[in-house]
Amino acid sequence: MRKLLDFIVGKRHWFLFLLLEVIAFALVYRNNAYQRNVMLSSANVVTGHLSSLSGSVMAYLNLRELNHELTERNGALEMEVLRLQDQLEVLAADTAAFHGYIPDTAHLSAFPYSFISAEVVSNSVSRLSNYITLNRGALDGVAQDMGVVSDRGVVGIVSTVSDHYAVVIPLLNPKSRLSCKLLRSRFFGTLAWDGRDVRFASLEELPRHVEFAEGDTVVTSGYSAVFPAGLMVGTVERLGKQDDNNFYALDIRLATDFATLSNVRVIRNYTQAEHRLIQQEASEND
Amino acid sequence: MINNVLRVAIYCLVFLSIQVLVLNNIHFLRLATPFLYVYILLKMPVGTQPVRLLLLAFFTGLVVDSFTNTAGMHAAACCLAAFARNPLINLLAGKDIPAEGIPSAALFGKGAFLRYTLGFVMLHHIALFLIESLTLFDPLYLVFRILGSICLTTLLIYLAEAFNLHIPTSNES
Repeated sequence: MRKLLDFIVGKRHWFLFLLLEVIAFALVYRNNAYQRNVMLSSANVVTGHLSSLSGSVMAYLNLRELNHELTERNGALEMEVLRLQDQLEVLAADTAAFHGYIPDTAHLSAFPYSFISAEVVSNSVSRLSNYITLNRGALDGVAQDMGVVSDRGVVGIVSTVSDHYAVVIPLLNPKSRLSCKLLRSRFFGTLAWDGRDVRFASLEELPRHVEFAEGDTVVTSGYSAVFPAGLMVGTVERLGKQDDNNFYALDIRLATDFATLSNVRVIRNYTQAEHRLIQQEASEND
Repeated sequence: MINNVLRVAIYCLVFLSIQVLVLNNIHFLRLATPFLYVYILLKMPVGTQPVRLLLLAFFTGLVVDSFTNTAGMHAAACCLAAFARNPLINLLAGKDIPAEGIPSAALFGKGAFLRYTLGFVMLHHIALFLIESLTLFDPLYLVFRILGSICLTTLLIYLAEAFNLHIPTSNES
């Protein structure tokens, strides 16, 4: 008995080692099962604050490029306004106006999306599973499963929210699956990332008779209720490697530059809950 | 003793900050990321109790984990490396090292210290990358990632060593 006790005391670091490994693997497993756990993530208040500190320094370093981008975007929007104004004038001149007509707005549904602008406080592109942390949380109206876009294109989907911070699973994460379509030919597939190159993702599950050309635009399909249809995702780079003979996969050059991401918008969809509910109901009735 | 606790605290602060704020963002050739924070564990005195070493390893791993959103991965890898540290020292440097001695090229000899560093870093990195790629497996790419990261980390450890020479270690002061 004494010998056994001596043995256990003498080898106690073995037991501690096993215990700690078990805890660590339990954490890894939990993390995979629930995507994230809020306690040990960058949505945590302490790490969030530190990240936002380093984020604010990085924001200054990126200002020049950002300014350039904004100016460009501004220009593009101004052109759009001018074009629309022009169109409006042409139409107004064309139409014989009848002011007694009051349009019936009851059947016109309101545009169900609005957005919340946010700043990136921590971001990674170098790992297999990348995450982005934003400085907006539940108190600002951000909730789970909201879409996130940048000026250039789709970024990802919100996975975890604390009061002041939110964690986004970007397209650069093997867990992310996004329903997309080719703008020209309207074929749709699923966008996934293979963990290699941060500039490319692959659009999978396309039928073999898909028509495409290099440079074709890929946009969101709007089937998921997370993103409205027609948001820019990227352009077709080339035919990718296929795992399955029945489907094609295309390599997509992503429109968003994840390495320089700093300002994003979180998209709120007022009809998402309803959309979810009816889909769930349909699959339950099945 | 107090001196040593202070040294470990400063090491933790400095190397964890460097790791979290700078090195985690490095992704050399989209392949290698250095994990310099293992230096904290690498430089613990030879005679440190295994229990303390393991707890410190778990703590540093968990801190890095909470910043990289990889709960448990770094902690598991660090614990494994810390667990294998004492056998590694016994194997490579012999048993006649004073207990307060801090591993360095001067104490171990150049060759033995290089082997010790490489062994420790390799163990940590291989464990880390294997756990990470449980979700996504691509053997050749994985091997390149591990090798690249080992090279970068070892390089940085030697850089830190070069700066460290002027700081008096606890057994001298």
